[in-house]
Amino acid sequence: MARDVLIDLQHITKVFPPDTVALSDVSVSFEAGEIHALVGENGAGKSTLMKVFYGLERRDAGDIFFRGAKVEFRTPREAIAAGIGMVHQEILLIPEYTVWQNIVLGAEPVRAFGIIDVDRAREVVRQKIEEFQFNLDPDALVGDISVAARQKVEILKLLYRNVSVLVLDEPTAVLTPQEIPQLFAELARLRDKGHTIIFISHRLDEVLTLSDRVTVMRRGKIVGTSAASELTKEDLARQMVGREVLFTSRRQPQEPGEIVFHAQGLNCSDTEHRARLHDATVEVRAGEIVGVAGVEGNGQFELVNAIMGLAPMTSGTLEVKGKDITHADILTRRTLIAFVPQDREKMGASVAASILEDAIMTHHILDPRFRTWRGLGLNYRHAAEFVDQIRDQFTVSMGHSSDPFNSLSGGNQQKVILGRELLLETPFVLMDQPTRGLDVGSIEYVHQLLLDLRSKKRAVLLVSADLDELFMVADRIVVMCQGEVVADLATDATSREEIGYYMLGGKEVAHAETGS
Amino acid sequence: MNVLFGLVSAMVVGATPILLAAIGGTFTFYAGIFNIAMEGMMLVGAFCAVLGSFFLHSWFLGILCAVAGALVMAGIFILFAVKLHTDEFLTGIALNLFAVGLTTFLLRDIFHVKGAFTDAGIRAIPAVKLPLISGIPYLGSLLSGYNLIIYVAVLVTVLSAFVIFRTRFGLRLRGAGYNAACLSSSGVPASTIRIWSLIICAVCCGLAGAYLSLGYVRLFAENMSAGRGWISLAAVILVSGNPWGIGVISLLFGFFDGLTVFLQGGRIPTQFTAMIPYVATLVSLYLYSVRKKRRQA
Repeated sequence: MARDVLIDLQHITKVFPPDTVALSDVSVSFEAGEIHALVGENGAGKSTLMKVFYGLERRDAGDIFFRGAKVEFRTPREAIAAGIGMVHQEILLIPEYTVWQNIVLGAEPVRAFGIIDVDRAREVVRQKIEEFQFNLDPDALVGDISVAARQKVEILKLLYRNVSVLVLDEPTAVLTPQEIPQLFAELARLRDKGHTIIFISHRLDEVLTLSDRVTVMRRGKIVGTSAASELTKEDLARQMVGREVLFTSRRQPQEPGEIVFHAQGLNCSDTEHRARLHDATVEVRAGEIVGVAGVEGNGQFELVNAIMGLAPMTSGTLEVKGKDITHADILTRRTLIAFVPQDREKMGASVAASILEDAIMTHHILDPRFRTWRGLGLNYRHAAEFVDQIRDQFTVSMGHSSDPFNSLSGGNQQKVILGRELLLETPFVLMDQPTRGLDVGSIEYVHQLLLDLRSKKRAVLLVSADLDELFMVADRIVVMCQGEVVADLATDATSREEIGYYMLGGKEVAHAETGS
Repeated sequence: MNVLFGLVSAMVVGATPILLAAIGGTFTFYAGIFNIAMEGMMLVGAFCAVLGSFFLHSWFLGILCAVAGALVMAGIFILFAVKLHTDEFLTGIALNLFAVGLTTFLLRDIFHVKGAFTDAGIRAIPAVKLPLISGIPYLGSLLSGYNLIIYVAVLVTVLSAFVIFRTRFGLRLRGAGYNAACLSSSGVPASTIRIWSLIICAVCCGLAGAYLSLGYVRLFAENMSAGRGWISLAAVILVSGNPWGIGVISLLFGFFDGLTVFLQGGRIPTQFTAMIPYVATLVSLYLYSVRKKRRQA
């Protein structure tokens, strides 16, 4: 079905001073009434391209055509007036306001003296909700509704302003897996009503499920546009990364060595005395990767905190290499455990500090080579060499070591943290969601790193919400449910279905069946 | 009976400048500005009121001058804190210090006096006898015969509650405080709303200042706002900006203020009676935080 070209971007170039080319001669067109996915790795220029189009970023060259006419949006307000709306990654709503107040804010129906016409506003919002079957209560406080519902409010806010083109920047990043199909159904319905949807993503499965056409970007350039029906996940990944990406396991068979990490009967409770960890027992051998699976909030986070000594345990013992660290202070644990936390920006690093400062954390205390003047000063020369070592060994693309940590892209931030932790040369490595929010290339890099650790006979405990990831790298998978370890399965002898069964509390079900 | 009436009237009189400044402050509070410049705006307003009233021979022009003076202060705040993004707290401190210095300097330079300037040529804002009500016994003497600004203050309070909670401007105003980025992305620049909130605040503080120098008394004294701007800030924060709450708190402070005047004739040293409003502020802040803690637990 041939559709009319609605938006035509011609030869767009954008350079961030001094010399970072974000977009280089990008030309792409979007047709009326299609769902068009824009995919690429982090930093490929997807968001920048849409921001240029939407009037959030200036461009250095190129033309924008909308409905056949050359246009120039200087602010998002002008874009919205022309019928184009963008939903950003971070949801921008006022939690203290109700759904209808958020939707009408900035375009409120008023009576004389600027008094808000509450009845009309609520009625219009209710009609929009019904028209698009969004299942929202116009009078609910936005602070009380789920993230998925807030996203709907954001979309409705634009539909209320009668936009015909919706740009969604990674809309699924904030959703749980169960919420995604609903969003997709709603987007498909919008398309069937004649709206055009531009959908930015780096999740390949989603792109193929939802979109009509897909445009792949890499390093500020267009790789190509094709119909989604003609693509496979492997095609997309190859186009995005520029080389073959493996989605299958590359684990070499290897006999695990002696027990390195042993957690026995860990218990801990929250402030309301509810058990968060219940008799959790996990062991990891040298040269073995053990994955921890589970629906989020079933004790994984508490397990990690208990191992690192970040939260008190009520009972249980922890051993690394035969050494009891149950009551050890954090510094002692750090000599034995390398730790990559889930939250890069809050726990993994100090984003406002320099790359160098972030890189030498922990090392500067444990390693005397980082000290001068009997510990009163820092040996900056050694620190700089250390940063160079991380950069070269972990292929970090970075500016000067004194640049702030948040000048790095997400993937490079993670590489610096990984470098820092792995160069501690500890026997045990604990990783909590190490690939979350990374692009395909970086994810692949982390997986390779994990497998390298395995062949170096390190013991790795990998907490991950991504089952594909666990099946790719882990030797064994332990499943957590309601703070308990409910299953401990060899990866090669289990299936995603079996893991999923235990994740949803299968053990209790099994007990009930045998009991009756 | 007369003592009671006297106390009520002293309470209302004492509450008015705090009420006006706090209502101004509540607009900036909702707009998400940490505005502590009410004190300075009020002081400049008080000085400009005397200036206008004395030289232009009109209390009305005096009020206009007071508002204009406070608006100049707001203009400086807007230039620095909104346009140039300096720290709001520091800008506020600078403005308050500037106001003391400026008015003291101008007092000596223009009127050639130290401490206070009082002159028969200063026209005071008149008191208003309410028609009908003034004839009713008791109620008449309770409600009628106050200074014009006091009625204006009541009107401003009612109006502000309406504007903040019922109008489009109010929705956007509160939006600027809750989430400025959201408001801006909805097509209303938050900075525009903040500028308007500061202008409204300046008008209110100007009125408060005019009341101090042309209503409460008929003179200008150095630093005559005497911390009322700060107390109004405490009132705003205490009730999280609610105009009705501000009205109650202002009356409470007005009561203690009136008590000060009442007790001055007695045996208690005036230094101690003058402390009462400030001690009351501290006590109420303490009680408030204790209550808040209890509610959370």
